[in-house]
Amino acid sequence: MLKINELKASVEEASILKGLNLTINPGEVHAIMGPNGSGKSTLASVLAGREEYEIEGGSVAFDGEDLLELDATERARAGLFLAFQYPVEIPGVSNINFMRAAVNGKREHEGLEPIKGKDFLDMVKEKAKLVELDGRLRNRSVNEGFSGGEKKRNEIFQMAMLEPKLAILDETDSGLDIDALRIVSEGVNAMRSPERSFLVITHYQRLLDYIVPDFVHVLMDGRIVRSGGKELALELEEKGYDWIKEEIGA
Amino acid sequence: MTDSAKPQLMDRPKTEAKHAASETSGAAFLAALDGTRSAATSAHDEALDRLPVPHRRVERWKYTPVAAWWKDVLSTEVHTVQAAGCAANPVPGLDAYRLVFVNGIFDALASDLPVHSGVVCMPLSQKGDAAVQPVDAFSPETTDWFAGVNGKYGQEGLYLRVAKGVTLDRPILVHHHTTGSGVFNALRHDIALEAHAQVTLVHWSTAASSADGSVNILTRAAVADGARLHIDKVQDEEGQVRHIAFEDIRQSSDSHAEVHTVTVRGQWVRNDLAFRINGSGAHAELNGAFLPGEGEFVDNHTTVDHRVAHCTSSENYKGILYGKSTGVFNGKVFVRPDAQQTNAYQQNANILASDKASINAKPELEIYADDVKCSHGCTVGQFDSDALFYARSRGVGLEAAKAMLVHAFIGDVLKGIKVAEVRLEVEHRLAEKHGWEVWSDYPNDDA
Repeated sequence: MLKINELKASVEEASILKGLNLTINPGEVHAIMGPNGSGKSTLASVLAGREEYEIEGGSVAFDGEDLLELDATERARAGLFLAFQYPVEIPGVSNINFMRAAVNGKREHEGLEPIKGKDFLDMVKEKAKLVELDGRLRNRSVNEGFSGGEKKRNEIFQMAMLEPKLAILDETDSGLDIDALRIVSEGVNAMRSPERSFLVITHYQRLLDYIVPDFVHVLMDGRIVRSGGKELALELEEKGYDWIKEEIGA
Repeated sequence: MTDSAKPQLMDRPKTEAKHAASETSGAAFLAALDGTRSAATSAHDEALDRLPVPHRRVERWKYTPVAAWWKDVLSTEVHTVQAAGCAANPVPGLDAYRLVFVNGIFDALASDLPVHSGVVCMPLSQKGDAAVQPVDAFSPETTDWFAGVNGKYGQEGLYLRVAKGVTLDRPILVHHHTTGSGVFNALRHDIALEAHAQVTLVHWSTAASSADGSVNILTRAAVADGARLHIDKVQDEEGQVRHIAFEDIRQSSDSHAEVHTVTVRGQWVRNDLAFRINGSGAHAELNGAFLPGEGEFVDNHTTVDHRVAHCTSSENYKGILYGKSTGVFNGKVFVRPDAQQTNAYQQNANILASDKASINAKPELEIYADDVKCSHGCTVGQFDSDALFYARSRGVGLEAAKAMLVHAFIGDVLKGIKVAEVRLEVEHRLAEKHGWEVWSDYPNDDA
């Protein structure tokens, strides 16, 4: 599904990713944890195709394609989804029309006609149920005036609408209270399937109680320095990151 | 307070310096007009003599390049109306009365005048002895040279009178088309609504892609007590046509007047609007959207003059500038000493969609009353890169994402357009010009 090999990236001449390796197979859920400034969000942005980041080396294969050759739109249409840490507000564009444009973009890529109005609304209704996104939020401008929890639920709603092959959740748990965390996690879990993979970026083990990962990786100073099963997250919760730093001699 | 002690209001025509080179150019332009056109009246000669020919050192013309006007070679050729092909309604599906003018000449065959009790509507040339709006110290003809030129040569246009309490059942579409080379088309519209009368006008300007020359349109409207005037104004002119338009609107008590201006296409466009609010309880509304492309110039100069108490005005202009285009926004709001309890709002926001585009934006508020609520805002920015990336990360193409942001940006202006068919056609024409998918795919929050 995703094969990252020795990825190096910088922003404004500051080197952030310094040779990152990661392989995700279909159906797997990987979690990436790490201290502040270790490069977690940079990894998410680089994979989604944000142009401010300079790729300085390495390769990323996504479903057999060279991901780095695709622009942000093409990556999304190829089946990659990023749930933003800070979802963007777009005043004047209704959530529902935004999603219609997104769904039709994907359909165009697949050689399909634009979706029919009724089919689209049925789909919206079904997917909105997953994260309890009510009609009011569907018709409002994209994320405008949404609470933190509503924004994150909207991200998962969009993910459900687009049915990606790989979803990257960038600190989706930040700013969520316990109820919103449960709703968001249940939405994600409902979408787990043998074909769909997830990359969950988080600071806290808490999220991983709800979205149980197959693998946990520790990102530090632009590299993955340790990988393990879900118990690694518990160990990090208990002991922090310093012991890893010491072990790797950083 | 005596008159002399009152603050000097800037909207009174100042004695502005004449500029030798532009005076020579202006005189040559008028001489060429005299050689090829018949003047409607010579009454404006004196005013024209007194007014400075616009040039860059005149504040009102600081950002408006006029040199192109002096390069015209005026044609004496008469462009026949029948050849222009204006029989088709430019606004599909619009059920309206229609006055069609081609190169300033009334096209009777393409027109459909209202026959309605209490409504006098005809081409100006047929009004006979009926009176027009009197010219005074604030009239465009006595304050602006180009309007003075219109005063002298403008012979044709809309003549409209709506009697007390009468509401015209359909909008009036005034379509002006420009065709041919070396044209100078002057059109003047004279509108008077009696108390509580209501009318909606659609001013639609087009030009053939081979046309060159200029268009000069002056609209004067008197809106009596409780009357409502609504003008949707669309400029979609191809070719090398310069378009200058003046709207002079006088409002009485409890009247309501709106002008919504959308400039779709135009090589060189200047809109000069003035609302004078003379009666309490009146409301003025003026909105505009301009989206010039490569090489185009669009200038919106507006004046809202609050002369009495208890009135409101609302102004919202949005510009998106592409390629190597230039825009100007100048919004004057005067609140005179007697205009207490005024509520005036002005907003101008601009997006530079290209690093070669430029905008000169200048809000000017002069407030001489102390118990008023006036707010204004002016911004110049670029497309929100975070919003663009967000849309693209959902699989929306870059151009579609930009179109979405454009629609959101000017959506509030388009929403103000009163006639739905006009709004839809404007969206289609903008989409066509900029190569967007048709916007109806992205209706704005209508759901």
